Amino acid sequence: MGGAAASALAAAGIYELADRMATAPPRVATGARPPEQHLLDGIRVVTDNDVEVLVPPLHHQVVTAKLRVDESPAALDDARQSLEEALARLEQRFEATPAGLGVTVAWGLPYFHRYVAGQAAAHLPIDRRASETRGREVRVLEDSIRFPTDPPSTRLESNDVAVLFRSDALDHIAAGAKAVFDDLDGLFDVTSIRKGFVGGGFDGGPGLPKQMAKAAGIDGADLIPHGSELFLGFTSTQKAGLGPSRIANIETLGYADVGANAYFAQGTHMHLSHLFEDLAAWYLIFDFQDRVDTTFRPRLDVPQYTRTVPQGPDDVQSAAEVVRDYARYRQIGHSGSIQPTSRLERDTVGRDGTLYPRGTAVPQRADFNTLDNPFFWTADVGRDEYVDTPAAGLHFVVFNPTSDDFRRNRLAMDGVMPNGSRLRFGTGSTGRGFNSILRTTHRQNFLVPPRVHRSFPLSEIQGR
Amino acid sequence: MKRRIATVAVVVAIGAIAVVVGAAFGSWAWGADDEPSAVATVDESGSGPPVCPRAERVSWQKLATRIKAPVYCPSWLPYPLEGRFDGVFNGQTVDPDRSYLVKFLYFDAGLPGGPQEVHVVFRGYPGNTRLPRCDNSTVEDGKVVHHFSPCFSDPKATKARFGSKLATLYTSNQGADQWHLLYAWRENGSLYSVSEHVAPPYTYGQVLHNLNRMMRTLVRVQPRNAAQS
Repeated sequence: MGGAAASALAAAGIYELADRMATAPPRVATGARPPEQHLLDGIRVVTDNDVEVLVPPLHHQVVTAKLRVDESPAALDDARQSLEEALARLEQRFEATPAGLGVTVAWGLPYFHRYVAGQAAAHLPIDRRASETRGREVRVLEDSIRFPTDPPSTRLESNDVAVLFRSDALDHIAAGAKAVFDDLDGLFDVTSIRKGFVGGGFDGGPGLPKQMAKAAGIDGADLIPHGSELFLGFTSTQKAGLGPSRIANIETLGYADVGANAYFAQGTHMHLSHLFEDLAAWYLIFDFQDRVDTTFRPRLDVPQYTRTVPQGPDDVQSAAEVVRDYARYRQIGHSGSIQPTSRLERDTVGRDGTLYPRGTAVPQRADFNTLDNPFFWTADVGRDEYVDTPAAGLHFVVFNPTSDDFRRNRLAMDGVMPNGSRLRFGTGSTGRGFNSILRTTHRQNFLVPPRVHRSFPLSEIQGR
Repeated sequence: MKRRIATVAVVVAIGAIAVVVGAAFGSWAWGADDEPSAVATVDESGSGPPVCPRAERVSWQKLATRIKAPVYCPSWLPYPLEGRFDGVFNGQTVDPDRSYLVKFLYFDAGLPGGPQEVHVVFRGYPGNTRLPRCDNSTVEDGKVVHHFSPCFSDPKATKARFGSKLATLYTSNQGADQWHLLYAWRENGSLYSVSEHVAPPYTYGQVLHNLNRMMRTLVRVQPRNAAQS
């Protein structure tokens, strides 16, 4: 790994402040690590406005990379063994809760195409639902697209691998990143380092987003409500709004055919994107009711300055209701517009034997605020339009069963309904959720294998 | 020796300018963060009672007389604004209901760090204490969507006292006050407001500081009756 990337991995930058600004909440480990890489144990549940809220890890970091490994089976075997040993050592050192360290290794299509194309053709699960809809075979991992409200400048990335580190302690994240990307010198060319934070205000403090934005001199920071989990002021990790347990696994809801040997069962799909958030516009132009309307649904009546707005199964909007809102107000809410695709339409028994009631959320979000512009560090300053002044944004990380499932949700956010019909909005319209204050800079989809296959998946299988 | 004295004088002068500029553009965090439940009292200490500048006094007096109600003249404006009613970007409007708007604007798009804008708005609604409503109707996909909302919104829980004026800070505002922080207060059956745009060169904290200073130094100008005018 290059010296500049190594230095950036070791540096905390402005995020060092975050360690001083928030106290790590109590975490209780409940058992052994699950077979899923993306599930974290010890997530605390608090109640805010009579709504159960999951308390996410305070600090997050994503490192993306290209592989420097030769394509020969021997080189891949060595690389797989080295990475697996490094990950195993981290698991021995840190518990599998936010108090320890969560590590999720995700692989991009370029890896599957370059290194294990034959095995991928045989084992990469087929997305039954997407294949049926589109009339051709669709795999669970596809390249991301630019969505209708993405600007033409949104960069569709082609990294081989992305590793998500999550912890309440910055030094745990630094240790994890060093073990994978620094100590395993020769495996990776790091392409970007992305850092950020979330929460920190559930126990009465101002919260990390407000404190960090103020420390960075971000326009609009003073108006972030006290205790906000994220820059935009509303709690986004309420329990009912996040997919429970194994629902986002590739196999659980039956969207995909995992094949005879179910190699990727207990794995999932990860979408990673970065977007800027215009906080000054959000707080100075949108008043509280406007913010509620665009975040949840038009004319939703909640007490002034509520930060945790109930989003349980009974609060979910149907596609018909979204269309009615559009017809009446020419406006849709962010959450409301996504719910027809992100929530279960009917009671569903998953492959894990769990009954998931109608209205249950499917996506498991792991997004976090950032002051990166757009990244903490990049190998290509020009390509990524890197600037060294802080900017408010979000590194959006979400686990869905398939690329197509994420795509359906994201299209719905832009007013493309589940049946394919489009709700039409003018350019720059504020009627389409809060998209008018967001600007997406980068996107990529990844596959998250189960823990047992997390290191160079499929490379141990012969037959390329 | 003369040269040394001259150098010292220059340094002192630069220091004085820095102090003045620092005061003008300096950060001020009063009330920016917290929403205590009590009424905050702003320090009114000063060297003397504020005075409506002589050059602008006539304009404010004419306005008061025209609307037949008191108006508030600022004895201080954020740098580099001038309070002349006939400035390039300045102006006043009076509606049939006698409500008025006076604005002072500085704008320079050609500065190295990007455009700079200083914009303050003074309003009064004689005989009316209700918050005005703004028409935010839009045209979407060929349909006119009617949407009316309060022009002043997102009030801070803490009211601020400036002498006899008990003002509410509104942080999300519409119309000419969009992107502005705004103080509104009711007095003798009328509503008044002062607002300033949050934009470079001033940060949120500096705009709040400016607003507090303007509020502290407003001068009430009474209308003259017809016989006097």
